[in-house]
Amino acid sequence: MANLEIAAPSPRVAHARSLWPLATLAQRRFRLTARTPRELIVPLLTPIMFALVIAPSLKTALHTGAPYESFVAIGTVGLLIPLNTMFAGLGVIVDRVSGAQRELLTAPVPRALLVLGNALVALAITGLQVAVLLAVALARGISFDATATGIAWFTGAAALFALGMYGVAETLANRVPRQEEYIARVPAIAILPWFLAGALFPITALPNALTWVAKLLPLTHALAIMRYGLLQDSSGLHAIWGLDDPNAMASLSLAVVGGFALLLTLASIRAFSRSAVG
Amino acid sequence: MDLAIQAIGLEKTYGSGVEAVKQIDFGVAPGEVFGLLGPNGAGKSTTVGMLTTTIVPTRGTARLAGFDVAAEPLAARAASSVVFQEPVVDNALTGRQNLELHARLWGVGRDEGKARIDELASRLGLSELVDRAVGSYSGGERRRLEIARALVSRPTVLFLDEPTVGLDPRIRAELLDVIADLRARSELTVLLTTHYLEEAERLCDRIAIMHAGRIVALDSPRALLADLGRELVELRVEGNVDAALTLLRERGVADDDAFAVGSRVTVPLREASSREAIATVHELGVARAISTREPTLDDVYLRLTGDSLAAA
Repeated sequence: MANLEIAAPSPRVAHARSLWPLATLAQRRFRLTARTPRELIVPLLTPIMFALVIAPSLKTALHTGAPYESFVAIGTVGLLIPLNTMFAGLGVIVDRVSGAQRELLTAPVPRALLVLGNALVALAITGLQVAVLLAVALARGISFDATATGIAWFTGAAALFALGMYGVAETLANRVPRQEEYIARVPAIAILPWFLAGALFPITALPNALTWVAKLLPLTHALAIMRYGLLQDSSGLHAIWGLDDPNAMASLSLAVVGGFALLLTLASIRAFSRSAVG
Repeated sequence: MDLAIQAIGLEKTYGSGVEAVKQIDFGVAPGEVFGLLGPNGAGKSTTVGMLTTTIVPTRGTARLAGFDVAAEPLAARAASSVVFQEPVVDNALTGRQNLELHARLWGVGRDEGKARIDELASRLGLSELVDRAVGSYSGGERRRLEIARALVSRPTVLFLDEPTVGLDPRIRAELLDVIADLRARSELTVLLTTHYLEEAERLCDRIAIMHAGRIVALDSPRALLADLGRELVELRVEGNVDAALTLLRERGVADDDAFAVGSRVTVPLREASSREAIATVHELGVARAISTREPTLDDVYLRLTGDSLAAA
């Protein structure tokens, strides 16, 4: 019989504690996502429709600090991110029901990395889709007023909001047993807040009570920062905070979105660990 | 001897109150093929789940290759691989991509992993398939891929959880050959769960028979069978089975190890002659049918639990 080196430190465990497995898990998720083009294309359709068709039609209906098409183009990013991340969450259910989740659970890697690997790919794909949406908007003649700092504000807000929304998706996917039940909840989570968060019109146009609801939504803060970043329009931030310093207001809103991302990421790791391990 | 697998007072009670595993103890030596035999619901898969860190034990300790699965789960997982009862693969990826994923997560170097994948693909008859999407594989091909995947990382301990369940007889026979070959050619420690008697008898050095969450017997298949002697008399009893069993005991045909399930009474003969036993049974007039045969593990299980494995 073989002699075992009992309880000796294993080089494989040292490997498991590095971030290299995260890259492997992210590569796996990317390969799986790339084989389901539905997940890439479907979330883009509605935002592009809003940005290119509906917004120009509504152009004269509302007036803001920036041209209305530009205002809505950024607003549609606030629809694209939840739709895309919620679609990404479907992969978690597929993994659990008919994929390799149980194999991954027996791998010598911290289980949080299984969630973070998925989040990383959702983030990357969302980034690509946002870039496509903005490129299409530019091609349609919609203008932005972006500086390097503005792009940094936009990117920070979009990335943190996407991370938080992926946390929502992963948490939900670990709490519902079937895809049908998951999909039934998507409109309430991904679309309803979009109508309240100042995507199509400033939140000040809402009834007073709903304005307060809007101020509590992470999406409202994310959109206000994104508009400040790409349109130099701080009216959204002012509607939330009522301060004079745009950078201070953007920082406060970024903290809100960052807190949302952190909280939901931790919640998603917890939900995964609790549901995956008996 | 240091043990490759050790379970001490292992227990699992689910939130629903179901006691799936009740204080089991066993040890598996390095290189041993150890079987957990029992019907569905006996606690086999829960035991494997606790040993592979996918189920948290309610009480007790488990060690894999010397590593406590609760205190050092990463080290325990690095030393082991699992072939699951159901297909657990990424169907959209190719066989090679599934194997590469395992190799990388288990820390196998790129060159070593590639060589190992080619070697295993060839050994398990997957060379022609390995670059196809797994979704196009047959059940047997997919199962062979899962075995190859489990071996990529050269585990110290391999868990095979009902590896042949749901497969057609031809593929099952083919897969048993693969597992038997694995046993003959490597010094891997294997924990196999099954409810197929012939699998356990053919492949395992020792078997733990599980019933309702407990281990009710643990020994080599030969020793378990030896408990029932070389031959059995099986009777179909008319009327009161308990009364017939008492009568058989009084007449010295049956001993304490005779047992009854439904209208069937099984009598291990040990040193007695089957001819004499049958003559006595005829004389007593308690049976409507009598036959003799060699004992099987199903008889061992029946005697211990009152249930038939074959029916499970």
